[in-house]
Amino acid sequence: MTAMDVLIIDKLNKLYGRPDKPVVHAVKDLSMTIRRGEIVALLGSSGCGKTSTLRMIAGLESVSSGSIMLAGRHIAALPPSQRGVAMAFEGYSLYPPLTVRDNIGFALKAQKLAPEDAARRVAAIAKLADIEPVLDRYPSSISGGQQQRASLARALVRKADLYLLDEPMGQLEPQLRAVLRGRIKSLINDNAMTAIFVTHDQTEANALADRIAVMEGGVLQQFASQKELKDRPANLFVATFIGEPPMNVFDAGVTRTSDGVSLALANGPTLAFGPGEVTPPVLGAIGGRTRLTLGIRPQAVSVARGALKARITSNQWLGDQTHIAAEFAGKVIVAVTPSRVAVRPGDEVPLSFSATDLHLFDTGTGAAIAHGREAA
Amino acid sequence: MALRLDKLTKSYGGKPIVEALSLDVASGEIVAVFGPSGGGKTVLLRLIAGIEEPDSGVVMIDGTDMTDASPDARGIGMAFQNYALFPHMSAYDNVASALTPTRMSAQDIRTRVDAVAGMLKIGHVMGHKPRELSNGQKQRTALARALAGAPKVLLLDDPLRNVDAKLRYEMRLELPVLLRKFGSTVLYVTQDYKEAMAIGNRIAVLIGGRLAQIATPAEVYDRPASVDVARLFGDPGINLFDVTPDPSGRITIANSQLPLGSGFSNSAGKPCVLGFRPDAVSLSQTANGATFPVEVLAETPLNDKSVLLLRAADGKEVLAALPASAAGSVPVGPAHATFAPEAALLFDRATGLSVTRGGQP
Repeated sequence: MTAMDVLIIDKLNKLYGRPDKPVVHAVKDLSMTIRRGEIVALLGSSGCGKTSTLRMIAGLESVSSGSIMLAGRHIAALPPSQRGVAMAFEGYSLYPPLTVRDNIGFALKAQKLAPEDAARRVAAIAKLADIEPVLDRYPSSISGGQQQRASLARALVRKADLYLLDEPMGQLEPQLRAVLRGRIKSLINDNAMTAIFVTHDQTEANALADRIAVMEGGVLQQFASQKELKDRPANLFVATFIGEPPMNVFDAGVTRTSDGVSLALANGPTLAFGPGEVTPPVLGAIGGRTRLTLGIRPQAVSVARGALKARITSNQWLGDQTHIAAEFAGKVIVAVTPSRVAVRPGDEVPLSFSATDLHLFDTGTGAAIAHGREAA
Repeated sequence: MALRLDKLTKSYGGKPIVEALSLDVASGEIVAVFGPSGGGKTVLLRLIAGIEEPDSGVVMIDGTDMTDASPDARGIGMAFQNYALFPHMSAYDNVASALTPTRMSAQDIRTRVDAVAGMLKIGHVMGHKPRELSNGQKQRTALARALAGAPKVLLLDDPLRNVDAKLRYEMRLELPVLLRKFGSTVLYVTQDYKEAMAIGNRIAVLIGGRLAQIATPAEVYDRPASVDVARLFGDPGINLFDVTPDPSGRITIANSQLPLGSGFSNSAGKPCVLGFRPDAVSLSQTANGATFPVEVLAETPLNDKSVLLLRAADGKEVLAALPASAAGSVPVGPAHATFAPEAALLFDRATGLSVTRGGQP
């Protein structure tokens, strides 16, 4: 542990057991360390364990085994109110008898702020969350999106060691969402706050988080920056889960040549790579495998030049990007470019991708073997 | 015209839901009907299908006035976001339910169902009950049922709404290809602008029961007919400023005078709304005659872009979208922003209509 580490989770497990039902192992041996001032996203699809994890940190759910240390204190056995966390949870609702203003201000009472300081902070956070017009309304009379933002404001206005946010922007209209993301990130960074939020939406995670914990089946798959998740995914799950549109994936047979390697795509051409394209570390990582799985991001596929051939099935311009689908190696390969492309369905086009953009995975385990010129 | 709507109008309790809506759809054309919820999209489909009766106006299908015809006489196929499959029937029987045994022999029905199922790649699950199908297979089965009767017009009401993001993306690529194979004439309702752009040959933008614009996806995106249309396209959304161009074609944003580019001379002195998309914004560390000072508040990566939240000198927030390759290149703190003048859109502040090229009604 360093002075920068504010939250240390060690071998955390959550098992749900109910009579007549099989035990569900929702969180498996989760260990992660979060630094002061960091924004972390727990990202995954429903049932991946992300919400159970957040609820255990908050104290809304008991810990089956493992420890949680926050700001130097073991908190797993403490009640929520003594943990030093501020939270905005779905279902952890606003107090119905209080106005939105009093709901937000209530959190400040315990901090014994001067009334004018408290009022100023409530006003500032209400402006940030875009709920100024409804400050004097009661929770039941405002929209779902406004309730969500009021709940977010109530959490962020407090001083806490850690902020826990559950799907903080799920219900917001897209226009406001982009602005609010920027405002929240700016607030958290300016005040060196530490925050963990749960989301199923990778766009949200990418936008807000310094690091993203990708979870699946109760297991932490990878904990890294969005750039690292894109450039160096730890396994095939992360590789195909992160990135829009998803990574193109092909199974390939491997043959080592005298100075490189050739990859025979299932139902497709054979790609031969020489020593300038695959490095000794990559060759070493491939080892004696006879097959592997190859991934290539749509943004790295070119349909303008190259020796490979593909047949266009669709060409969709979305205002700022072209998405092209083409038949290649018995599947559909997707290419994305920021400019317009003049190809039509049915056209045969040249296709290429660079060896430096390839991601290689073990076909059996899905574990990454190499990314571009580097071994994984 | 496969479908012609003429001044179609429908109100509920005196409140107009669809107002004097006229639209021609050519045979084999896919028109995406797009707009915010409550804009009248679903009611429009129900009027065309004959499930609702219009207060006034005409529905012509294949040249025949069908305004008063019963739903099953109109030659319409429909599929919905909740699939609406019969749970006790196999996928095959669900698809075949669209065909009438009195009009077709059992052999012809089988041939037709097999052909449609084959084209939609669900032939191998035709014996399964709906609960045994994946969401994607359910979606295709519902689509197969809608297509089996070879409808003159196919109405699809947000069919991808309830499928997961990955399948929705795959279907977004595949659906227009399949629909083209069938030569279908389609009205496709969606609340997702990217889906509308990807699937429609043209997009009908429906706002408040009125057709705000009908044009190709590129046209709607590049030359929106009104501020309201401009707001609905793009992620993140368009930046909008109240401006009044001066006679020399300059405008004032956040106390800075900037050139607006040519073509707006007849708007001098008129209250306007200026719009430019976040992609058109660029930032530098030095000021010049075309920049306005901003504070960079935060960087939020968005897929293949990096989105920056900026605050102008007057407190107004502006979004900039840089290519992902420029991520991290602009530090938080003071900077100078500008927008590409050729990307500027101008709207009349009173009517909201484009003054750039005189928006289509």
